[in-house]
Amino acid sequence: MAYFLELLVNGALTGLMYSLAALGFVLIYKASGVPNLAQGAMVMAAAYVVWFFTSLGLSVWLAIPLGVATMFLFGLMTERVLLRRMVGQPVIMVVMLTLGMEIVLRGLVPGFLGAAPKPLDIGIGLAPVIIGDVFINREYLVGGVLALALIGGSMLFFRTRTGTKMRAVSDDHVASWAVGLSVERVIGLSWGIAGIAAVGAGTLWGAVQGVDWTLSGLLFPAVAVVILGGVDSITGVLVGGLLVGILGSVIPGYLDSYAGGSTRDVVTSLIILVTIVFRPYGIFGREDIERI
Amino acid sequence: MPGLALSNVEVIYDKVFLAIKGVSLEVPEGEMVALLGSNGAGKSTTLKAISGLLGPERGLVTRGTVRFGDIDLLSMGPPQRVARGIVHVLEGRRVFGHLTPDENLVAAYRGGRDARPFEELRDQVYAYFPRLKERARSKAGYLSGGEQQMLAIGRALVTEPKLIMLDEPSLGLSPLLVQEIFGIIREINARQKLTVLLVEQNAAATLEIVNRAYLIENGQIVMSGDAATLRENPDVQEFYLGGSGGKVDYHAVKHYRRRKRWLA
Repeated sequence: MAYFLELLVNGALTGLMYSLAALGFVLIYKASGVPNLAQGAMVMAAAYVVWFFTSLGLSVWLAIPLGVATMFLFGLMTERVLLRRMVGQPVIMVVMLTLGMEIVLRGLVPGFLGAAPKPLDIGIGLAPVIIGDVFINREYLVGGVLALALIGGSMLFFRTRTGTKMRAVSDDHVASWAVGLSVERVIGLSWGIAGIAAVGAGTLWGAVQGVDWTLSGLLFPAVAVVILGGVDSITGVLVGGLLVGILGSVIPGYLDSYAGGSTRDVVTSLIILVTIVFRPYGIFGREDIERI
Repeated sequence: MPGLALSNVEVIYDKVFLAIKGVSLEVPEGEMVALLGSNGAGKSTTLKAISGLLGPERGLVTRGTVRFGDIDLLSMGPPQRVARGIVHVLEGRRVFGHLTPDENLVAAYRGGRDARPFEELRDQVYAYFPRLKERARSKAGYLSGGEQQMLAIGRALVTEPKLIMLDEPSLGLSPLLVQEIFGIIREINARQKLTVLLVEQNAAATLEIVNRAYLIENGQIVMSGDAATLRENPDVQEFYLGGSGGKVDYHAVKHYRRRKRWLA
């Protein structure tokens, strides 16, 4: 029982950290309908940026705000320079563009900053937290709580005036233009915020597993999270993340010893497959409102 | 002259399709002007040329000028045009379906230093359309067609426009609702001195409320004048107002093809 609880709690916390990686994906999709396949690479790039600032001798608490500023600008520029040319083009071109960005970033950033895994110490400490019989990974605990806070924050953001405008833009671009909303600026902002979410995810995952190119592999669980939760729902990101995290921890916890490891990826793939077959909108994805 | 003036405007879609050819029209400040015409005549295209919404449909103004007061509109993007006081209520209402009516109004609110406070504008909208207030908490996508039209107009009013362009507000609504909404439009026009450009197929109801009207066919303005004059015109009566009221001999109809003499 303690073993199960341990898998459950640690899985849930990992899941929350997946949610954070998925958050940027959902933000961009919500605002512009673009599936950002470069989200994994953005998380990786963000981790590299934070590590780079610490390697200059800055403290982590200075490096993270600097990373936030850098990635926010990076997001804005991506929209301005790359995505804006794609207005009115078929979706497949946009998908290929973000995929290309993923590949370029994954090669370029480690190419300049070094491909060997780099430790990123954010001062959490290694000793596990023990509650009753359950060992909880301290990094996961801090990460999970932070992820929860950031996701909660973005939920509140969507209640503000700017957030409402962002939801309006995601509803109908032409109607937004007609009432004077600058659709381009709102989409740019969503890329900027996705950059900030990438810093959160990159820093936490970088602290857990070290900073190197494998961080971009977070795209895979992140995509599972958004497909399961619903690609345009923040609540979906939260619930989807918890489910993917828990299933991806509990099932391998029992199966890995028989299968020889790595059943986590199998579970993640199955989640994507089963969701698409049985509930293509995801759990909280919105269906289009149709009046008859 | 203040107000809106289009001069010889030509719009081409996709670099091949000539949608309107040399449209000139004037909407003097504070007046209500209608643009009438049948399906595909170029009414919506004309409005989009004014509001700058041709881009997403790959349309382009290739000739002519659009001026509002002494501002040249063609060099501006849609948000700047709204900031100058031109707002376009799209055909088919296009409310933000996943937002509540309240949030629809919030989304359209521009803010800024010289803007009136949002609450004041919202209460004004709800004063014109009390029915929206009752539904303020449900998603706009689930409102009735009439309520959505009211919301679309209210959302446009929140931008504090000087000129409001309405694209077929009567579309899909019952005659009673059309009357109600037209009544409110006229009231807004009278009370706020808001200039109105109304695009309609429903010529009978429209000519009742506007000062002037233009007829557009095949992308060209074919007739214009006071609403009263147009109502009396035999061609308008025949083609837009459902005949001149006399009995029609249906045996003769087949052989009778009156040439619309304004068409080349």
